[in-house]
Amino acid sequence: MRQIHIAISDESLVIREGLQSVFSRYQFIHRISHAPTLDALEKLLQRTTVQIVIINPYVIQSNQSQFLQLKNKNECIKWIGMLYSHFTSGMLAKLDGTIDIFDTGEAIAAKLLKWIESGSTENSLQSKEILTERETDVLKHLADGKSNKEIADKLNISINTVITHRKNISQKTGIKSVSGLTIYAVVQNLISLDNF
Amino acid sequence: MKKTNKILPDIKIAEAIIDNPFLVLLLERFNISLPVQDLNISDLCKSYGINETLFEAFVSMYNGNTSIPELKLNEHDALTIVHFLRVSHIYYSEQIYPEITELINRMNQLNDHKEMKLVSVFFKDYFREVTDHLDYENEVFHPYVIQLASQINNNEPSNIRDEYSVKQYKARHDDIEEKLNDLRNLLIKYLPVNQDQTVRRKLLFLLSELEFDLKIHSDIEELILIPFTLRMEKKVKQTEQ
Repeated sequence: MRQIHIAISDESLVIREGLQSVFSRYQFIHRISHAPTLDALEKLLQRTTVQIVIINPYVIQSNQSQFLQLKNKNECIKWIGMLYSHFTSGMLAKLDGTIDIFDTGEAIAAKLLKWIESGSTENSLQSKEILTERETDVLKHLADGKSNKEIADKLNISINTVITHRKNISQKTGIKSVSGLTIYAVVQNLISLDNF
Repeated sequence: MKKTNKILPDIKIAEAIIDNPFLVLLLERFNISLPVQDLNISDLCKSYGINETLFEAFVSMYNGNTSIPELKLNEHDALTIVHFLRVSHIYYSEQIYPEITELINRMNQLNDHKEMKLVSVFFKDYFREVTDHLDYENEVFHPYVIQLASQINNNEPSNIRDEYSVKQYKARHDDIEEKLNDLRNLLIKYLPVNQDQTVRRKLLFLLSELEFDLKIHSDIEELILIPFTLRMEKKVKQTEQ
């Protein structure tokens, strides 16, 4: 099973220590960080990878725009509310799930596992390798402004093979124009922006 | 969106618009403004002097139909079609393209990922290509169609440029909507998001709208105007002989 890193964002030391004590019983949680405020959380997320943030909705309520910015920037993280007072459903809808102060350790662990297994953690939103190695080579040369003939010569393949690779690249990415494919190549870090 | 597939003369135009709001764009290009009261298609065409068959064919295309039978058209219809396309050109260059450019600029302000700058360049280059395409039609092809129609109508001797033919236009007529689809793919699948979710959504709506409209625009040219102009060309050449 994958090990995970959880950040706890709550101003209360009692809550943070309490959660840490509950979490320490479970082997799949291999690291726990404390971030009492959104600012502290922001700094933490800048320097390390976290899969789950347990956050007191009160922390969000005082600065919703900062929270939404942070959440948008870190789409791969599951954002879980730690509830020990009443919050509106609108506030709770901003989160991916909640833990209640009265939940047992087992119930909390089961919820954490469910959120971890429900995808979108561990950068699953990031790009998957959809192109083959050869298609990637063709794309790099294409983005570099080379013609089919030049690419064929460079890669020691026929022009027809280059055309077939180009068709496959367009089919897989949904992008047909060379200028569109160039942006794709930059986004996927296949070529550097310094080339422009 | 429910769309009326079979277009009949007694269909109320208002109902057709409620089913498919894109038809408001079509009306604008026939110089028809809202409100349209309870007029059916036949009455509407009579009061605006539009060929009913042509109007129904256009409505049907906006409702997603791409199999258009050969239409019985006269020289006056050629002018109507050219007018329709020219009003569309003004809509593209003065309304929707500037709106898209504005949204891309706003997206760039909200999203500082370096790739976003490339999107601006991509769209700028694309807009330049589109402008060239529209300019060519405005300056070369449309005047040629109007000239042919007027010669046939007035039974004038041919003074069309021998070297020019609709075949040349057909050969260079390319899909200007292809790059819009590329941009939509990039925005939906690949370009990293920052604070630009809302602007990106608005941009995607506009791009889809424009792509849909451009596809019909290009179908009108390919399926109706080009074959009709070829027939007019033939007629003029026969008169010469």
